[in-house]
Amino acid sequence: MSTETVTFNLNDRDITVPKGTTVMEAAHKHDVYIPHFCWHPGLSIAGVCRFCLVKVDNRPKLEIACNLQATPGMKVSTLLPEVKEAHKWALEFHLVNHPLDCPICDQAGECKLQDFYMEVGKYKSEMDRPKVLKPKALDVGSDLVLDTERCILCDRCVRFEQEVTKTGALGIFNRGDRAVVGTYPDKKIEHNYQDNLVDICPVGAFTSRDFRFKQRVWFLKDQPAVCPGCSTGCHVKVYAKPQVRTYFRVKPQESEVNGHWMCDVGRKTYKHLNQDQRLRFAVAEDGKGGRKRVSVAEAIASLAVQLRGVSASDIALLVSPQYTCEEYDALFSFFVKKLGVSKVFQWREPTESLDAFDGLLYRGDHNPNTLGLSEALAKVGLAKEVKNGFDDLARSGAKVVVALAPEIEFQFPSLPAQLQKLSELAFVSVWATAGSAYNVKGLRHLVPLKGFAEKKGTFRNFQGKVGELSKPFPAAVDEAKDVVEVVTALAEVWAHA
Amino acid sequence: MSVFSESLKAKIESFLTRYETRRSAILPVLHAIQDETGWVSDAQIEELHHKYGLDRIHIKEVITFYDIYKDHPVRKYQIRYCKNLTCHMLGAQDAICRIKEHIKALDAQLGEDGPFSLEEFPCLGKCDGAPVMLVNKERIEHATVDKIDTILSKYAPLPK
Amino acid sequence: MAEQKPKIILQTEGLPDQHSLKTYVEKVNGYTAVRKVLGGMSREQVIEEVKQAGLRGRGGAGFLTGLKWSFVPKDITGPKYLICNNDESEPGTFKDRYLCITNPHQVIEGMVIAAYAIGANKGYIYTRWEYQEEIGYLENAIKEAYAAGLLGKNLFGSGFDFDLDHYTGAGAYICGEETGLISSLEGKKGQPKVKPPFPAVSGYLGRPTIVNNTETLANVPWIINNGAKAFRQFGTEKSPGTKLFSISGALNKPGVYEVPLGYPFASLLNIEAGGMQAGRTLKALIPGGASAPVLTPAECEGLTMDFEAMAQRNTMLGSGAVMVIDDRQSLAELLKVTIEFFAHESCGQCTPCREGTGWLNNIMDGIMERSAKPDNIERLRTVARNMGGKTICALSDACAMPVMSYVQKFSGELQAYLAAGSGGHSK
Repeated sequence: MSTETVTFNLNDRDITVPKGTTVMEAAHKHDVYIPHFCWHPGLSIAGVCRFCLVKVDNRPKLEIACNLQATPGMKVSTLLPEVKEAHKWALEFHLVNHPLDCPICDQAGECKLQDFYMEVGKYKSEMDRPKVLKPKALDVGSDLVLDTERCILCDRCVRFEQEVTKTGALGIFNRGDRAVVGTYPDKKIEHNYQDNLVDICPVGAFTSRDFRFKQRVWFLKDQPAVCPGCSTGCHVKVYAKPQVRTYFRVKPQESEVNGHWMCDVGRKTYKHLNQDQRLRFAVAEDGKGGRKRVSVAEAIASLAVQLRGVSASDIALLVSPQYTCEEYDALFSFFVKKLGVSKVFQWREPTESLDAFDGLLYRGDHNPNTLGLSEALAKVGLAKEVKNGFDDLARSGAKVVVALAPEIEFQFPSLPAQLQKLSELAFVSVWATAGSAYNVKGLRHLVPLKGFAEKKGTFRNFQGKVGELSKPFPAAVDEAKDVVEVVTALAEVWAHA
Repeated sequence: MSVFSESLKAKIESFLTRYETRRSAILPVLHAIQDETGWVSDAQIEELHHKYGLDRIHIKEVITFYDIYKDHPVRKYQIRYCKNLTCHMLGAQDAICRIKEHIKALDAQLGEDGPFSLEEFPCLGKCDGAPVMLVNKERIEHATVDKIDTILSKYAPLPK
Repeated sequence: MAEQKPKIILQTEGLPDQHSLKTYVEKVNGYTAVRKVLGGMSREQVIEEVKQAGLRGRGGAGFLTGLKWSFVPKDITGPKYLICNNDESEPGTFKDRYLCITNPHQVIEGMVIAAYAIGANKGYIYTRWEYQEEIGYLENAIKEAYAAGLLGKNLFGSGFDFDLDHYTGAGAYICGEETGLISSLEGKKGQPKVKPPFPAVSGYLGRPTIVNNTETLANVPWIINNGAKAFRQFGTEKSPGTKLFSISGALNKPGVYEVPLGYPFASLLNIEAGGMQAGRTLKALIPGGASAPVLTPAECEGLTMDFEAMAQRNTMLGSGAVMVIDDRQSLAELLKVTIEFFAHESCGQCTPCREGTGWLNNIMDGIMERSAKPDNIERLRTVARNMGGKTICALSDACAMPVMSYVQKFSGELQAYLAAGSGGHSK
């Protein structure tokens, strides 16, 4: 069925769009910027900010682009002086009661009001009367701080609550310039999608408590990645300040997998990447029953010695489904194909409920690459059924175990007990991003790994869609390597041992 | 245990099925509550939510948006005095001052039991009777300053 | 002695039991127009008759009523609604309330005919809460009509059903805006809706809806009974028919008067309203409600009460709310009253209105306190000028236009107020 199209002119450029498309949607798709606050591609039209005014043909009144359907031959301009003047006054009205909080507001540097002021303002305001004061710094959710004075009443948050999470926890009370956004008195927002409110708020009204006062955004760099929190694999941007090798937050990236949103669990997946949470160096046995810090090369060498000393049937792999397809291929290429190891066990949280789904994005499989692991296993002729293999490993009698630990520990409550158990089995080499393996004294062989935001590779989500880690940050920890690098080095040593 | 009287419950239930949507019943239900108690309490909103399925936020938005609904206890006689154009021209401010004086004196004596409250109201729609005031639902025209004492003492005794 | 004025709307005025069904039916041919319509006129014929008559909305906008009805899509199934806008909240207007206590049945009959014309089987009368007495009259009239089979199922055996209910507002001027009214009827804050879509296509609960003013609907039975041509005998070519004018101020006989459109203002003031009270002269005139730009006495020379004459003077007829400002009034105070009203009533959705009305009120407070600098008076005009033409509804313009007219025409008095020492309010 063919879609009817419409061709219209926007700023002297002919644009063709499906019939029914609004001028705002058309501009958004064709990278023409029409300033706006209340419009959002993931929400219904509100038409309240009155900022996206455009000149249409010879109509005497300017129209809002967000509610204007493109018609054939329509001529639209955002550049005429009339429109620029309208923008200037739209901004002036937005600033009438807006508090001058910039020095203490987290939104500074990514604030639409600031951006527009630089674009169309830069004038001396005529507003010299006392401003309307409203409640500030309200606790309205586990990660939400609401400042109702900064709020420009764009209604995005109210629409989000109604249309996306369907929880309707926000309203706008009172009339006129006394209007104030908020939850029902003393009630909080309690769902798993709170931080999307922070994302969509154009100003610093909704801010993240986790991020509050931590970092000025103009020092942050962001890179695209895939969230490792569950099998949905939302496309995300990870934000870090590379000069101090610190990560600060994760935000969603629009894609067909997750639309415009991500869940709050996924937002936490930057914390383990910071140095204080990391396994910072390799560890090997010191020959006296204890362990010592070594270089990664030394650790790899001592592992090669251990592997040489046993037969293939004495070696076992315990693998978390949180690594990339490329890492699995490299791992199995060496251990299974070259060495002939057949005992490969999946390292999954025993209490997981795989069928769980919150109806929006967050799934019960708290691993980003379950499917990728299964496929890699099948490729080398091993059982690919999704099954937690920890107990099987414990019963297998393996003498040398190489364990690739789950990167995201906060969703793995059984991990501390399991690490303890592992340390009581034969010789175990744990490769991990997080530092908790170091806290188990009985684990005497450790290799530090890069986190998901620090390596290249792919995940396959629950539908088999490929999610790419393409632009890694330099690792926060100097010694960290990814699994491909470790296995390559191990294979090299093995060949010459 | 309900916070609504039996007759109020009956009115609420009848409004809820009278319109095309249950939400439409919010305004008339709130009027019915106020006709009985003068204002709408949090406990009443909770019951409207839990027992009748009306959304709390929808109710709160309505209460705070419209001038007539009150979410705090009210006095026995709510005076709404029009301060708009014609009433202003024909003496509203002087009458309002006089009312304020009486209320100040009464509240000094009786505190929260003072019988009157005053709202300077945006419009009452009876400019040919200016200046106009409402006492609860009763409209009083030509309520000039010289008549205020007589008008108010019909409702409650005024201090000397 | 004034000659007999035509009574199209207030037909029962002055008759015993003027508001009763009995009087309406027995004395002024009540409910014969609806019988005629349901007895064999098509919807198109009804719409055409009203179009030919040139009836314009009597609530303030003056839009052609027949044309508005014709926007309702004809070939769709599902409910449609006819709503009587009895919210009458424009300061200075009090004519719909008078109509409700004088001749409520003519409004009801007009509603049945209008509903038939647009294919609606359900109607609401939405009245502002402050009109408690008037609501009583309306609810009583609705009861009488149901009891007499003039509302309900199969009216006059035609197969046409029409149910009418009353809905009371809760104190918000913005509910007089048709989509604000619709929002209120839906149980929400009375916030106007973004247009398009327009109510005729998607209104109450997303269904085709026509919202008409009380007085507009009351014109319909007479037009059906007497014809478009007879209607056009009164009024002017662009403003045919009669109009209810609310006239108030320091006058001898303020009140509601039905006169033909085009009637001279001087006659309305001096004959119907009995002239200004002794010792007072005209200082300014508000011809069409608080949202109408103010006129100087010079601009009132030869003024006639019709849409075109008002437009020519860059003001508006509006709902016909005439407020006469006498020489003892302070225009600074009246401007403050006006601005404060709009700031209080802004629904708060759109930024230019919400912030603009608040800002104007804030500036005006500075002027009233006499703490403002003289350039603040010009600032009123700058802010007002930029509030207009950019919002979801016309409240922003309704505030901006009178403000600009006060500054343009009476800035001398405003400056004098600001410069004066202390005290000095009007008596």
